[in-house]
Amino acid sequence: MTVGSSLTIALRALSRNKLQTALTTIGMTIGVATVLTMIALGTGAEAAIEQQVRAAGMNLIVVTAGNYKTKTEDDGGGVVDHQARLEPFRDLGRVRLQADRPRVRLKPDTTAENVSDFSPQPLALRPDVVLTGFHPEDDPMEKHDHPTARQRLGDTEAGLGAAATLTPADADAIRQLRGVQFVSEGIHENVHATAGDKRWFTRLHGGDVELPSIRRSWTFTAGRFFSAREQARLAPVAVLGAFAAEKLFGTANPVGQQILLWKQPFQVVGVVGSGSWMVAPSAGDDQFDAVYVPFTTIHKLLNLSKLNDITITAASTGEVSRVSKDVTELLRARHGIGMKDPDDFTVATQARQSLARGGLRPDVARAVVGNVGGLEKVTLEQLGRTLDRATKTMTALLGSIAAVSLIVGGIGIMNIMLLSVTERTREIGIRRAVGARAGDVLRQFLAEAIALSVIGGVAGIALGAVASGVIAQMLKWSTSVSPASIALSFAVAAAVGVFFGYYPARQASRLDPIDSLRYE
Amino acid sequence: MPLLRVTNLVKTYQVGDVAVRALRGVTLEIEAGEFVAVVGPSGSGKSTFMHILGCLDRPTSGEYWLENRDVSRLNDDDLSAIRNRQIGFVFQGFNLLARTSAVENVELPLLYGPAKIGAAERRKRASAALQAVGLADRAEHHPNQLSGGQQQRVAIARALLNNPSILFADEPTGNLDSRTSVEVMDIFQRLKDERGITIVLITHEQQVAEYGSRIIAFKDGQIVSDRANDRQRVAMGELALLPAG
Repeated sequence: MTVGSSLTIALRALSRNKLQTALTTIGMTIGVATVLTMIALGTGAEAAIEQQVRAAGMNLIVVTAGNYKTKTEDDGGGVVDHQARLEPFRDLGRVRLQADRPRVRLKPDTTAENVSDFSPQPLALRPDVVLTGFHPEDDPMEKHDHPTARQRLGDTEAGLGAAATLTPADADAIRQLRGVQFVSEGIHENVHATAGDKRWFTRLHGGDVELPSIRRSWTFTAGRFFSAREQARLAPVAVLGAFAAEKLFGTANPVGQQILLWKQPFQVVGVVGSGSWMVAPSAGDDQFDAVYVPFTTIHKLLNLSKLNDITITAASTGEVSRVSKDVTELLRARHGIGMKDPDDFTVATQARQSLARGGLRPDVARAVVGNVGGLEKVTLEQLGRTLDRATKTMTALLGSIAAVSLIVGGIGIMNIMLLSVTERTREIGIRRAVGARAGDVLRQFLAEAIALSVIGGVAGIALGAVASGVIAQMLKWSTSVSPASIALSFAVAAAVGVFFGYYPARQASRLDPIDSLRYE
Repeated sequence: MPLLRVTNLVKTYQVGDVAVRALRGVTLEIEAGEFVAVVGPSGSGKSTFMHILGCLDRPTSGEYWLENRDVSRLNDDDLSAIRNRQIGFVFQGFNLLARTSAVENVELPLLYGPAKIGAAERRKRASAALQAVGLADRAEHHPNQLSGGQQQRVAIARALLNNPSILFADEPTGNLDSRTSVEVMDIFQRLKDERGITIVLITHEQQVAEYGSRIIAFKDGQIVSDRANDRQRVAMGELALLPAG
């Protein structure tokens, strides 16, 4: 007898007693629905933890120009003390170059004292230097339409030398490293953004098109990020952080509107908001109270060639240590730093920071991160600990409900099948008389039990999908009912049918043909 | 070469502590194309005999050769195959599947045949078999919508579907009125004459046994008489005389 005809006979037998069939399958329905919900919640929680971890930037590596940890003496070693470079801003209009640095001293007579005022002579000779004394935000009169931020970026020509060590070429070299996922060049400025009569003082980030891939928790509430094409063409396009967008445009859609940055018109192409329920855009936050512009555009506009930092993500969180080590080696080689000389940049990983935050001494944390592969993962789990614990409790609860209802459902099926075997003894005898083998009878009753459990299972899958949807809404988790979990639920249902249907089916197949023919 | 031959067939049942000897050494040959009537009172062992001949049961000892094959030693699956292909059964209680249409009842043996036969082909053959017993218009009726005679004819159609060489009928007229009984006997006699099918009819009524060409009498698990029937009743002729049902 074919599987098809076994199934046909089974379904026909079940359709003769629809109410009984429906009642018998309820246990299975609940069981399978619980299994499916359990899986959906489990994966949803995993996704939520993952998302949280990504949002926290566990696979993030930030290379910053300059080395904060190395105090510089007059060693000429290409390292700058960043405390010193803040000094020019204390006194408006005063240019204080660190003229004692031999490497950047372009002319022997150019000292800080010499250029303390805007004297025409140095202006004519080295116009760049004059402008470096001013930052647009520093000048209350706003006389400078095209100021540069050189002193902050520390361009070598500006005399702040060693701090500005990162170039777009460095970033491109990092892109070639194994294990590197995304790389974004970074230039950071403060800027007055103007839209119509509204004005907002905010952060300006020059970045790469890959930035949204690095900031995983971003969602675009309107429009899009700037494109590779726009970046290549140095297009004056801007993406507003959600908070900045609200300040400049209120509730109106800023996409397609114009804003002015340093009096230059920029077209708004998108608004970026927080996709993580844990982070809400607020005033002064670096991500959403901000304007994003292609770094190429900023380079052009501000006549720059260096970067403040390079942000990197490792393809795998477990590889953060290795990648950051590779980045260090690469940059040291590119910058021609000798064996004994300190770095002229700083590589920071979020994993190390959170380890340190977790109570480890920074040097210990550094040693641990450097030496134990995969330790970042442990830290990730620490971050997601609370969520994880809640998930485990819920999974255990659902798991026991699923187990109990599957067993009860299975016993219900077994009970009905045993009854059915007794009820249909004569039918078994008739089938045996016309040539059914014992195995045919076994298969027929097994098919019937499996059909019962699978019908319950299919109803359970539907119920489970709805339940996970509702729970997803309630918990704001991205629970997903995957084809694999549906297949698993289906398999569980069929397995219950086989397990609890086998005994009755075997009983049926063992009946003596003559006895069953005579059975009244 | 006989169609079937049994030698010293013994069947013993164990009922509690008592051993019941249903068959006590039966030796017999049946030729192809015979219409054998087996008579005897209840408890004489004739039903046990038929069950063993019909491969529903196995003898305790003795040999059973069916078409040159010793079937007394075959396993359960092989016996099922023989029942499916070489043997047809007609029972007193019709033994049709309830809540199943006549045509579906008839096609049942095809489900268990060696060849995979499509649903359409099964339906076609079953319909043809129903037509042969004059029930083409009742194909979709369920057994409880059919008269006793009609049900027995459905059962006969089912028994004949795989073209068996031998048909066992266990008290086929027991639940039927006299006219339909004669009708069923007419079908048997025609099957024997027209298709050469061997009929083994089990009955406790001497008058019914008279339709057979050979009458074997059973008593206490043994054959007490085995004779050719020279006064064979002819059902077709009797039907013509009976008032139409």
